[in-house]
Amino acid sequence: MESTNERTRMRRLVRLLPFVVAALAGLVVAGCGSSSSSSSKTSSSSAPKMGGTVTILDVAGSVDSLDPGYWYYQTDYTELGQTTQRWLYGWKDNTTSPTPDIATGLPVVSNGGKTLTIHIHSGIHYSPPIASQTVVSADIKYAMERCMTPRVGNGYWGAYYNNIVGAQAYAAGKAKSVAGLVTPNATTLIINTTVPVGVLADANALGLPCTIPVPQSYAAKFDTGAQSTYGMHQVFTGPYMIKGAGTGTVPTSSYQPGKLLLLVRNPSWQRSTDPIRHAYFDAIDIKGGNDITVASNQIIDGSDLMSGDFAAPPTSILKQLVTQDQSQFHIQSSGGNRYISLNTTIPPLNNIDVRKALSAVIDKNALRLTRGGPTIGVIATHFNAPGIPGFDQAGGVAGPGYNYDTNPNGDLALAESYMKMAGYKTGKYTGPPLLMIGDNSVPAGNTALAIESEFETLGFKFTFREVPHATMYSKFCEVPKAKVAICPNLGWGKDFFDAQSMIDPVFNGGNIVPVGNVNMAQANNPTFNAEMNKAVELTNPTQRAAVWGKLDAQIEGQAYVIPWLWDNEVAFNSKDVNGVTWKFNGGDWDLTNSSLK
Amino acid sequence: MSVGSDLLAADAAQADGGLPGDGLIETSGADVAAQSPLQLFWRRFRTDRVAIVSLVFIVGLILVAILAPLIVRLAGAPGPNVQNTKLLDSFGDPTGPSFAHHEYFGVDPLGRDLFARVLYGARVSLIVAFIATGLSLVIGVTAGMVAGFFRGWVDSLISRSIDVLLAFPILLLALGLGAACSLGGGCFGGLLKPGLVVVIFVIAFVNWTYIARIIRGQVLSLREKEFVEASRSLGASNSRIIFRELLPNLVAPIIVYATLIIPQNVLFEAALSYLGVGVQPPTASWGAMLADASTNLSAWWYMLFPGVALLLTVLAFNLVGDGLQDALHPRGGRS
Repeated sequence: MESTNERTRMRRLVRLLPFVVAALAGLVVAGCGSSSSSSSKTSSSSAPKMGGTVTILDVAGSVDSLDPGYWYYQTDYTELGQTTQRWLYGWKDNTTSPTPDIATGLPVVSNGGKTLTIHIHSGIHYSPPIASQTVVSADIKYAMERCMTPRVGNGYWGAYYNNIVGAQAYAAGKAKSVAGLVTPNATTLIINTTVPVGVLADANALGLPCTIPVPQSYAAKFDTGAQSTYGMHQVFTGPYMIKGAGTGTVPTSSYQPGKLLLLVRNPSWQRSTDPIRHAYFDAIDIKGGNDITVASNQIIDGSDLMSGDFAAPPTSILKQLVTQDQSQFHIQSSGGNRYISLNTTIPPLNNIDVRKALSAVIDKNALRLTRGGPTIGVIATHFNAPGIPGFDQAGGVAGPGYNYDTNPNGDLALAESYMKMAGYKTGKYTGPPLLMIGDNSVPAGNTALAIESEFETLGFKFTFREVPHATMYSKFCEVPKAKVAICPNLGWGKDFFDAQSMIDPVFNGGNIVPVGNVNMAQANNPTFNAEMNKAVELTNPTQRAAVWGKLDAQIEGQAYVIPWLWDNEVAFNSKDVNGVTWKFNGGDWDLTNSSLK
Repeated sequence: MSVGSDLLAADAAQADGGLPGDGLIETSGADVAAQSPLQLFWRRFRTDRVAIVSLVFIVGLILVAILAPLIVRLAGAPGPNVQNTKLLDSFGDPTGPSFAHHEYFGVDPLGRDLFARVLYGARVSLIVAFIATGLSLVIGVTAGMVAGFFRGWVDSLISRSIDVLLAFPILLLALGLGAACSLGGGCFGGLLKPGLVVVIFVIAFVNWTYIARIIRGQVLSLREKEFVEASRSLGASNSRIIFRELLPNLVAPIIVYATLIIPQNVLFEAALSYLGVGVQPPTASWGAMLADASTNLSAWWYMLFPGVALLLTVLAFNLVGDGLQDALHPRGGRS
């Protein structure tokens, strides 16, 4: 997941995420897909109170879409995914492995790992206007199929569902349905794959919003044309629904993109059937377009308020929270990182010694200070993040042990020695300026300036531009033709607690595409590519952790990117709110288990 | 020699209470001395103490901008882009002013010295102020003179173009141009590179219209004067009449208007930089500094010093502009 607005996007690149280091030990829990014992936290020990309305203050555009098939960002998950829908497999607030939600249990694996049989609960009702209709397995099948169509704009199906039999043919328009998705009866879904797929077998990749049921009989009329309009007409299975959407259309009085989103209770939802959500609030008002400083102060001093789509408050407020108002804030590992990509197709970055020199010279502590200091994260020494299987196998916090990773304050002498190895006799770069594209938002802009300044100590000169966050990705860093040498403001977060979602998208050469390319370093090592392709098929969690951990360490040895922070998510609320964070979603709120005091 | 080049002095003297024709004679006290238009202007201007103080400030500011590297070095401060994380606390918050460590204005969130950045920021403000204003004047005066002199379809074309440009929401237009030209290779095939050039272009593109309108009005009046008729009867070409006869008589309004739009341009640059489409980092700009400071309100010094510098500069230019207006058009009176 890629960093977009400075908040975490699930899988493709974490949009942002800053976070903390307070408890290194807690962060290093590696776990192999099992539930973690480190729990999400509530802001106080007060018992949850049923009822009341909470207001979420957003500053960065709120949700990206109303369509469950599109949801991929942290804010989408927090504000709509968990609150308004039930998933085939869901995520309790404090666990690192999926919990059967609509499913009755984990997939039954057979046929050498290539067949998964999943049974689902009966009697789960949709919201009005089809309140009498219940969820059947065909609804899950249709939901997964529509994710594969361009009109939905899903960002991850290719990574996880591509090996389902018939998926590619369906996506290419050569089949009317996905042959590998079979529904022998209303409560059974069978998934056949061409090869074993580890993240399907362990249900991780089935704990994503593509498995939110969509009834074809109702939704098909909205799934036409170039872009589906189902989001504006959707039906809900979760404890909340968009206010007024029971008519079959989301009213503008309840949803204005980036400005307003009003949630009320879904009359069809039954607490007794839901193992994940308590739904204490009566209503959730989400208000966007706020100034981050103003919103932060309002939340701290006000009542019934919670932080929204921003990863951390301004530094001065963060300091106040940490030093004075500790009961109001939560900080935990986001399961993501921040890194600098070095485009290996552009000289001199095609020289591994130059890349190592750049890695060595970076003062990671200085970069961390631009985002709030140790509170917002741990200095990174490799790509995979704490808490994700494979992290320890790659060396844990200490890292794989490469000398350019050992000094968090940077090592100019070591860097110059690498430059000399690369053929620069003085240890300083003497070539033409390199194109560097940074993010002009706060605090990313300062991070980019710090990186530029540190690289300049090695003699590098840059054509440096700071542009809006989305532009940085869509026009430059994700477009190989733009020939950007260095992208300093990148971030990546897990889709779930499996290292594949961290490593494969960013470093597998097979993922290099002309547009929307997340392998920004254009790493394309045939050996690594083959190992990653094999590792995708592993179904044994221990093996997966070992192989992906080894790959993580090997990739760090190539210095394709410079990971410099495993960041933390900072969430905070008013004093009268019991905020509960959601570990799966990078430490953002679980609004279905938060409550008023 | 310009037939009408003495009009400024004549107008000034007439406005000063003298009679037409006696503008070059000063009759104070026992001595009777002839004074040039410049002397007359200066005699009036120097009585405006506020304007004089402001002028001294502007001259000082220009010197500071030019000598910024020297001053910074003599003050023992680091350069404007030197980052020092030792001057940040454990949260990355910057430290305030300290004479002990030569951080007279404190540092920003990258540990950069604000004293140096404010001084260097003056360069950006003054460069933009003078170059953008100069370009606006050249385009505006030329267009205004041509429109006013030729009238007819030429006037219609230029005036309607001005109307169209004036109908644009200026800040949004500037933001759009600034944003579009701040990407990659800039605008118009790289002619407009991101950064200061874009800012100057945007300001000049927007501001020439006001000048053109004023000049057009003046020229419409001047072109009917006798000295123009005389020049024409002597066989002068249109270009000679425009640039040798009319232009000298437009000096007063040009000067006055220039001093009044300079502070506007300084603020405009600050606004564009504040909104992120102005000068590119790490170049120091007061507007960009204010934008950064707005996200870190606890560091009061971060907003105070560039803010005060911007305030005083704009105020000084405005006061000098008022002083010039009074000195050149004493009948006008200051509002």
